[in-house]
Amino acid sequence: MVNYRKRLLAGAVAVAMSGALAACGGGSSSSNTNSSDQPGTAGGTLQYYIYAPFEHTDPQRSYLGVEMTNFSRTVYRSLVAFPISTDPKVSNTPVPDLATDTGTSSEGGKVWKFTLKDGVKWEDGKPVTCEDFKYGASRVFATDVITGGPNYLLTYLDIPTDAKTGLPAYDGPYKGDGQALFDKAITCDGNTITYNFKKPWPDFPLAVAGLHMMDPYRQDKDQGAKSNYQIFSNGPYMIKGDMWNKNKGAVFVRNPNYDPKTDSTDIRKALPDEINFSVGQTPETIYDRLIADNGDDQYAVTSSRVPPSYYTQIEGAVADRSVLVKSPYVDYLVPNFRNMPDPKVREALKTATNATAWINAGGGEKAYGPAESIVSSSVVGYQPNPAFSGPQEGDPAAAKKLLEEAGVKMPYPITFTYPSSDTADKQAAALKETWDAAGFSTTLDGLGDTYYDVIQKPTKDSDVIWGGWGADWPSAITVTPPLFDSRINLTADSDGQDYGAYKSDKFNALVDQAQSASSLDDQTKALQEADKVLGEDTAYIPLEAANFYWLHGSKVTGYMNTPSSSSYPDLGPIGVEH
Amino acid sequence: MTVQASNLQSEQMPGSTGGSGGDTAKVAGQSPTRLAIGRFRHDKLSMVSFVVVVLYMLAALAAPFLVKFGVLDPTTFHQELTNPSTGGIPYGKLGGVSWHHPLGVEPGTGRDVLSRLWYGVTFSLAIALSATLISIIVGAVLGIISGFSGGWMDSVIGRFIDLTLSFPVTLMLLALSAIGIQLVANILPGNFSDPLPNGAYVVLVLGIFGWPGIARIIRGQVLTVREREFVDAAVLFGASKSRIYFKEILPNLWAPLLVTFTLTMPAYISAEAALSYLGVGIHPPTPTLGNILKGSINYSSADFFFFFTPAFLIMIIVVSFNLLGDGIRDALDPKTAR
Repeated sequence: MVNYRKRLLAGAVAVAMSGALAACGGGSSSSNTNSSDQPGTAGGTLQYYIYAPFEHTDPQRSYLGVEMTNFSRTVYRSLVAFPISTDPKVSNTPVPDLATDTGTSSEGGKVWKFTLKDGVKWEDGKPVTCEDFKYGASRVFATDVITGGPNYLLTYLDIPTDAKTGLPAYDGPYKGDGQALFDKAITCDGNTITYNFKKPWPDFPLAVAGLHMMDPYRQDKDQGAKSNYQIFSNGPYMIKGDMWNKNKGAVFVRNPNYDPKTDSTDIRKALPDEINFSVGQTPETIYDRLIADNGDDQYAVTSSRVPPSYYTQIEGAVADRSVLVKSPYVDYLVPNFRNMPDPKVREALKTATNATAWINAGGGEKAYGPAESIVSSSVVGYQPNPAFSGPQEGDPAAAKKLLEEAGVKMPYPITFTYPSSDTADKQAAALKETWDAAGFSTTLDGLGDTYYDVIQKPTKDSDVIWGGWGADWPSAITVTPPLFDSRINLTADSDGQDYGAYKSDKFNALVDQAQSASSLDDQTKALQEADKVLGEDTAYIPLEAANFYWLHGSKVTGYMNTPSSSSYPDLGPIGVEH
Repeated sequence: MTVQASNLQSEQMPGSTGGSGGDTAKVAGQSPTRLAIGRFRHDKLSMVSFVVVVLYMLAALAAPFLVKFGVLDPTTFHQELTNPSTGGIPYGKLGGVSWHHPLGVEPGTGRDVLSRLWYGVTFSLAIALSATLISIIVGAVLGIISGFSGGWMDSVIGRFIDLTLSFPVTLMLLALSAIGIQLVANILPGNFSDPLPNGAYVVLVLGIFGWPGIARIIRGQVLTVREREFVDAAVLFGASKSRIYFKEILPNLWAPLLVTFTLTMPAYISAEAALSYLGVGIHPPTPTLGNILKGSINYSSADFFFFFTPAFLIMIIVVSFNLLGDGIRDALDPKTAR
């Protein structure tokens, strides 16, 4: 789909890719060994073309994979970070960034301690302190102001829950109710910060490295909602002016108060003198320019994928500048359980779904790979879901039998809701074909600008809903529980991320088991069981695992798409010839 | 200009208006209509465009039946004809042209291009025709009232026309589309994304904002017609206003209306295409010339033929309608003949 949205881009951490480069036919495949592999030198200006505007650049509010990686490498440093590497094992293992080590845990993962490095400064020269980290974390609790970002901290941090609202008794630094509770949960002792959690969080460093929610924030710079586009740096770059322009972007220049001695070139090399983020050109325009490779475009990278209609132009010398990688994102369908309570009908829907036709209509093997679970094959502990293994072409005849067994009136009317685009409209029509052949009567409901707001409404009349998701850090615990745990999602006004209003005590029990597990192995086992339950209930139907197909300018050096950059261009090692 | 034709009818001056094309050999019994038809027939370009327009109309009428009987198939996928490793570009030359698919298949889906275009003509012409009729009816009624009444009524309608003309129509269409389509969808059967409310919205907006130009032309005509004796006679006999408007004046306006019609149609056909490009109008899988063109623009270099065919079809129909309109005007009013 062209319109990649927030949730789809929600994965902050790219997860291990089973191969940095997916094999692809047709001779236009690229190899990793092109000119861009030369080690770069410092200097020059990198152009970065972005199509869809960012909704936030505030560290505690951003949630798109592309924001996470770009800002991690340039302006926002945290306790730990993911290093630059195409090897998933290396790339998914946090290394110290602002902390001296990757943290020490005690009490079975319930208490985490980090010691801060000395000499790290903000862009105005003041030191980054333990209090800044504490203040940054406190902002997550102001759920009325700091919206849009990840909220894991609300469920993990050891703060009692208000019985009435179900929210933590601390409501953030702006109102300040329950401040004492928060001060007890996160404590500062000189340069040492301690986090106290209610339940074990064995992979906490992964969450710190993958998301910006634990980033430090300077209290005197905080203007609440007005800080949404403010960028106050402690990294190698700082923003020219002090606000990111939603529809234009911003220019990043060198931060004079950044000391490379406090940093590691394993995380960021910071080669270009300037990075010019420019927002708003369509993918077609971006690729017309990148293919032509003139002027500034020679120094350009983009976070917009090659549109399928441009695939045939990526050949010869142009193909040397292209990279095809697996992304951590999986696209899926959910049946709306309010309208489709009959398991036989949902199974019929699954049986009739032709994922191959969807893939081919959306650009074919360069755009997508097959998916056999909602969990990406690159996540640690992935296993194919038995409910979705086997051929992906759909079997309308078998589906029809299931519908007959269910004893429903045929044709069975269903409405399929998805974010509309030229490509998505074709893909939706591809699904409609086999669904209709199986005895459904499909109405295609392609939505425009507003998507997630519509499908989160409990009153929606959709029967089948499209969704896309990537893990926040390399664990299935950031995939199935946030999407299908009815307790955290379903409220009177919103279905949260559980668009199909799926509710299962069996599944929820397994989620509890996974969340209280103190070892990662136990957690993985429980999550695999949970995924099986989802498959048996047909809570979702996986469509495909999205591939990322990129092109960059000829004078870009050190171009890589790594698991740590969610397969977006990694700004850590990048440089330009000059 | 063209009012002359009907005006002469009562005066029985056969052949006297005949300029260039009139059949001057026969002197007796030629009505002005026949004279006009005669002139039109001698204009080769107009005849060609007339034939093309008629063919399009027939094709548009036939398409729903052809689809029903399976001759045309705009929805079935033939993905085996497209290459999944090149982003779904069809195998073979010219976008996969074959006996089964004379104009090739759509990239990615393998749907038959000829069927989609043919069926698309039906929807595009239906939209353009409905919008044109609305514009003409509203424009004619307000033009007649304005022209005949004169006085304050004329001023009010005149200012209303100015007001309507000053609306940035395209912008409004885009900005209000979500609300507008929802409103239409509440009245008509079908939900927000169905073809009917989306098509109806475009028709309504084009129709509602397209009438002022027509009203002005008609008003000008009415100003000359109302000075005629038969109108005075009707007024003296105490005929009602509506009788004068619609029985006395309207029949004398058919010529400018016909010309306006043939010149408005092509404008609305291109408007539908342009609006589809901007995302307003009937959405796929229901084909219209506009949404097919929109889907094909990105393929202009990867699969040129697929991009070329809808663009060419739209160009032909628009040019034909325009030439036809010019031809009719020339035939009805020989003074403008080149």
